[in-house]
Amino acid sequence: MIEKIKASKSEKIIFIFIIFLAVFSFGSFLLLKDKCLFVKDYDFQKITFDNPKDIAVLNVPCGNVIIELYPDISPNAVKRFRTLVESKAYDDVAFHRVIKDALVQAGDLEFGKKGNIDYGKIGTGKSGLGTINSETDSPFNFDKGSVGLARTQKYNTEDSQFFIILRDEPLYETEYTPIGKVIYGLKALVKIKYLDKSQYVLRPDYINSLRMLIN
Amino acid sequence: MGLIRLIILSLFIFTHVQADSIYNLIKIPNLEIYEINTSNKLRYLYAKQPFTIGVDNNINCYNSEKKVLDKKYKIIQKNLDRYDQKFLKKINLKYIVLCEDLSISKINTAGISDNIIKTLILDVKFNESYFERVIHHEVFHIINDSYKELFDEKIWSNFNVKKFKYEECSTCTDKLGLDTYKSTDGFFTEYSRSTASEDMAEVFSHLMIGSNLDNIDPILEKKIQFIKTSLLKIDQNFIL
Repeated sequence: MIEKIKASKSEKIIFIFIIFLAVFSFGSFLLLKDKCLFVKDYDFQKITFDNPKDIAVLNVPCGNVIIELYPDISPNAVKRFRTLVESKAYDDVAFHRVIKDALVQAGDLEFGKKGNIDYGKIGTGKSGLGTINSETDSPFNFDKGSVGLARTQKYNTEDSQFFIILRDEPLYETEYTPIGKVIYGLKALVKIKYLDKSQYVLRPDYINSLRMLIN
Repeated sequence: MGLIRLIILSLFIFTHVQADSIYNLIKIPNLEIYEINTSNKLRYLYAKQPFTIGVDNNINCYNSEKKVLDKKYKIIQKNLDRYDQKFLKKINLKYIVLCEDLSISKINTAGISDNIIKTLILDVKFNESYFERVIHHEVFHIINDSYKELFDEKIWSNFNVKKFKYEECSTCTDKLGLDTYKSTDGFFTEYSRSTASEDMAEVFSHLMIGSNLDNIDPILEKKIQFIKTSLLKIDQNFIL
């Protein structure tokens, strides 16, 4: 007959500790895997906007980013951006250039589309609508959340690519064409995939959709 | 003590962040903002640490003491404030980098300009006797690079006497003197004789600092008119 051995108090404590550790480890693994866990997803339908016709909603892996456009500051650039948004051109386009806590850039419609991404050429693609002139003369405070059109080293080469800054960049004033500012959801952009050793991202995150609030 | 460490650490992080942004814009490392709230929107940057740039890393410059920077900044700003924002935009000049012991291929130089990256690097320890004039001299190189078609070197060379020929390059000669001649013979300084571009820059810089033009020769008079006419083609409101 097998004698039943009763667990001592310390054995019970160790057993409970191991169970607790296992649950904690598994839970942490799941939590850490979800990079969007602590990011608030803004429901644009529940927000009242002063200028609803100038609101664009950028949906990224961690939720909605709500951008107010400034047509009074950069009319041509906002017009171009709006045209591309309305044609859904930005959907499934990569955030191909990301600098941790500094900047995210997307909008290469030629070489940055999901399923057709060209890592050798990404960042050089065009929209097919031609370039537009820089609009850098108006004073603009490039603080955290500002959205601007990207360009080559030369002015007047803006097309479809845009960037959003994640920290204040005072030197960008008169350097880049501003088109708007993020008014809700900047945290979702902080979570966009970046690499430590390169600004250009391999297997990047994509824009899910980009729409005007009112078409 | 802990608080002091925290402050020092946060300062380091803050400046490092600025250096990254500046590098992304003009591809010169180790720079920080000195002053950006200026009337003509020029952005003054300074070398926090030495930097090396250029083909084969042939351009070097070193960081300066704060008191030197503070003193020279006032002089530089006073002179560059004479160019308004509109003109600076036309000639593609936006960033002024302040550092010392600037050299290109180990030859010391007062300044290096690059209109592509809209940048003028100035050696704040360059000879005080010519310092203000040199600022305008370097600005001219930016103007010249942005408007090559207006400053035709063949037309310019024809102003000189027939037997005169410029050197192949500004550093291909020992004609480096910057003292202004008391009696001119087509040139303001010895350095003017090096190349057409340097000659133009010398004429421009002498005009900008208001040199005495009472006793200049006919050749130099033609050169001055050429520079004035060309500048007005860039900006009708430009005042020498």
